[in-house]
Amino acid sequence: MRIKSFSGGIHPHARKEKTASLPIESAFPSSRMVWIPVTQGGAQNSVLVQVGDTVSRGQIIAESEAAMSVPVHASVAGVVRKIELHLVAGNLDSPCVCIESDGTDRTDFMGALDPFTCTREEALARVRAAGIVGMGGAAFPSYVKLNPPKGAKIDYLIANGAECEPYLTIDACTMRESAGKVVDGLAIAMRIADAKEGIIALEDDKADIVPIIEKAIAELHAVPIGPGACAMSVVLCKAKYPEGGEKTLIEAILGRQVPSGGIPAACGCVVQNVGTLKAISEAFREGKPLIDRPLTVSGGACATPKNIEVPIGTLVGDLIPAPIALTSGVAKIVSGGPMMGVAMMSADFPVQKNTSGVLFLTARETVLSDETPCIGCGFCMGACSYRLSPVLIVRALKGDNLAEATRCGLMDCVECGACGYACPARIKFIEHFRVGKQLVRAERQRAQAREAAAKDSSGANRTGDAIIPGNETFSRKGDL
Amino acid sequence: MAEPDGNDIYLSTSPHIAQPLATPLIMRIVVLCLLPIAAFGVWLYGLPALVTLIVSVASTVIFESLFRLAIKKDVRAGDFSAVITGLLLALVLPPTTPPWMTALGAFFAVVVAKEFFGGLGANVFNPALSGRAFLFVSFSKPLTTWIAPRAVDAVSSASTLAQAYTPDAVTSATPLSYIKPAEGAVMTASDIASKLGLSSDHELYRRMFLGLRAGSIGESAIFLILIFGAILVATKIIDWRAPVAMVATAVAVTWIAGIDPVLTLLSGGLLFGAVFMATDYATSPVTPWGRLLFGAGAGLITALVRLYGGYPESVMFSILIMNAVTPFLNKIIPRMYGKVSRVRKGESPK
Repeated sequence: MRIKSFSGGIHPHARKEKTASLPIESAFPSSRMVWIPVTQGGAQNSVLVQVGDTVSRGQIIAESEAAMSVPVHASVAGVVRKIELHLVAGNLDSPCVCIESDGTDRTDFMGALDPFTCTREEALARVRAAGIVGMGGAAFPSYVKLNPPKGAKIDYLIANGAECEPYLTIDACTMRESAGKVVDGLAIAMRIADAKEGIIALEDDKADIVPIIEKAIAELHAVPIGPGACAMSVVLCKAKYPEGGEKTLIEAILGRQVPSGGIPAACGCVVQNVGTLKAISEAFREGKPLIDRPLTVSGGACATPKNIEVPIGTLVGDLIPAPIALTSGVAKIVSGGPMMGVAMMSADFPVQKNTSGVLFLTARETVLSDETPCIGCGFCMGACSYRLSPVLIVRALKGDNLAEATRCGLMDCVECGACGYACPARIKFIEHFRVGKQLVRAERQRAQAREAAAKDSSGANRTGDAIIPGNETFSRKGDL
Repeated sequence: MAEPDGNDIYLSTSPHIAQPLATPLIMRIVVLCLLPIAAFGVWLYGLPALVTLIVSVASTVIFESLFRLAIKKDVRAGDFSAVITGLLLALVLPPTTPPWMTALGAFFAVVVAKEFFGGLGANVFNPALSGRAFLFVSFSKPLTTWIAPRAVDAVSSASTLAQAYTPDAVTSATPLSYIKPAEGAVMTASDIASKLGLSSDHELYRRMFLGLRAGSIGESAIFLILIFGAILVATKIIDWRAPVAMVATAVAVTWIAGIDPVLTLLSGGLLFGAVFMATDYATSPVTPWGRLLFGAGAGLITALVRLYGGYPESVMFSILIMNAVTPFLNKIIPRMYGKVSRVRKGESPK
């Protein structure tokens, strides 16, 4: 099998060995409470339940009519105790529904639905109703991804099992333990997106999983109707960061590039994380919404690195000291992987649909130093697999030259962090870029407002009001 | 709500890990690569070379620290950047440069060329070369006075170590001074060899490759420059583009003019400048094409001066001139992902 790759990128220590071969254990919060964020990807939801309500596993507790919205379900059976703000990933206080488990396993799932006999619209509605969002980290609504804009023809549905973030092993474990569900989910996704071919992409350090997936594909093909009729193959990619980024993965596997500012569908591809595909399979075959989340808990200050599956809304702190034990010397708590994850102020935050891992890092393994002067080494240029010019963007931003920053690729940055990893001066590129992007968007909005005002000049006293912070806030970061 | 007890939790944007090569470590590695070359220079040219090296490094570190104290900024001697500047300056000076002159050059290098422009990473011109250029235009005689290297071949016959060095340290001609076409006539390697009293052109090549010639402290040890240049390229601390483009252009252009390419490669400061000066982070471009053009430009200027210029050598000026062009070369950015024309239809995975 030829190993696919892309240009640039970095080679961080994988540090996956501690958890790579461990099974996924089920875990439950010690407090028997879950704090389920009301919105987890997509547009803002409103809460459907009230304090005191009794809910079942799988019951919808928050929803919205808005476009790009995805419902959220109760992950335990029990009683709603509180609906209030709670710390969530990103260090924000966000509305959460607190449910206390009553210890039962009462469920309220949807009925099973055959994805190959229902209409495409019914299938899309099911993916949405099951609350499925990208589980690789981006939390982008899956039904939107599976429903590409009119005119876009989807050639390939790519199952993203690259898992290029160091430490994280949950996608690998999901593929190893539930290969059947992953390939079934891929078949379903291919059916919905009308893709000709399915590709399951792995990094070559997970080559041992290839036969497992090939066996699952063979079992699927044994009955050549429905999912068995879907053309699928496994592809190995070089273990390199950010191999699992949508754009880099597409370039590595197919040699295609997603047009700047466009979505993968524009080059005939849809990419879904393998965990997401498993969830899609369960949504149809079992009627189960996305309420349980497998994740890797690891890091140098974690005494018990493992892969666990918890009800969504489980506070990480409620898993300590059992089943997760920590050693002293925790310097950073990261929700997600070390490259794109968020450093949290405490472990008191809930696991969400897109929480692929939680890391407890020691001072030795993380970076605590401040920015030092840029020495102009250009390491960031070689690290950027999107061929942007990180150092020149930062220089342009420091000189308030937004046009030059944009020319050097500011708005094309997916914030994978490879430049920051490569930087010997420890420049906080992502921090600069986020500020820069906001400035550029504000500038564009002002320009639009001016245009609108110019067009609208006949209207008497109207000023350029109601420029809603545009859809650009949905710019996707990509599953890594 | 078990909290990790007694821990200071840090917040920052991603990424949360970084490669181990931080700035101070890179600087130390470069210093380690320069030290053998400096040691060889001392072996070759004796005590004067050692004095020049020590004075230069001490001066750059002290002047940089004093200046930063004076402007109430943090002292950065710990990052070893000033040490590199001091080493580089000494290595491109003649061994017999008077110590006060070396110190003055060091002052110009770190204070005028580097700190006045904002310090580490913000300088426009290569500090070491700026220091040398300042000395060169101010005191051109001592800056073009060379001593003959240790008479290696004579060591066995001339018994004492002291005698191994040419005793009177006469001004010695460098091979480079014969390269320039005199009245249109280009000398062959054999001609130069005989003029220098060597048996054959192969003997000339051998001596030049091993650094057994008059020259600046660090420029003559071609084999060491190649070894440590290769190490720095292999470890990706320096990029191959600028040095390769510079050497290739200089050799190609002078070759067209009839000069022996091997001689071009081995003589003067071409290789040292290409490996250690054209790759200076702050003063050379960061973009791939920028680096190629930077090297090519420096190589072209070097070749033209060697052929037609008033000085025998101008690696120094060629790199300083290209330093000035660097901000413009940085405009040539790579073609970004996704900035291509539409996707070709019916493409299949390879």
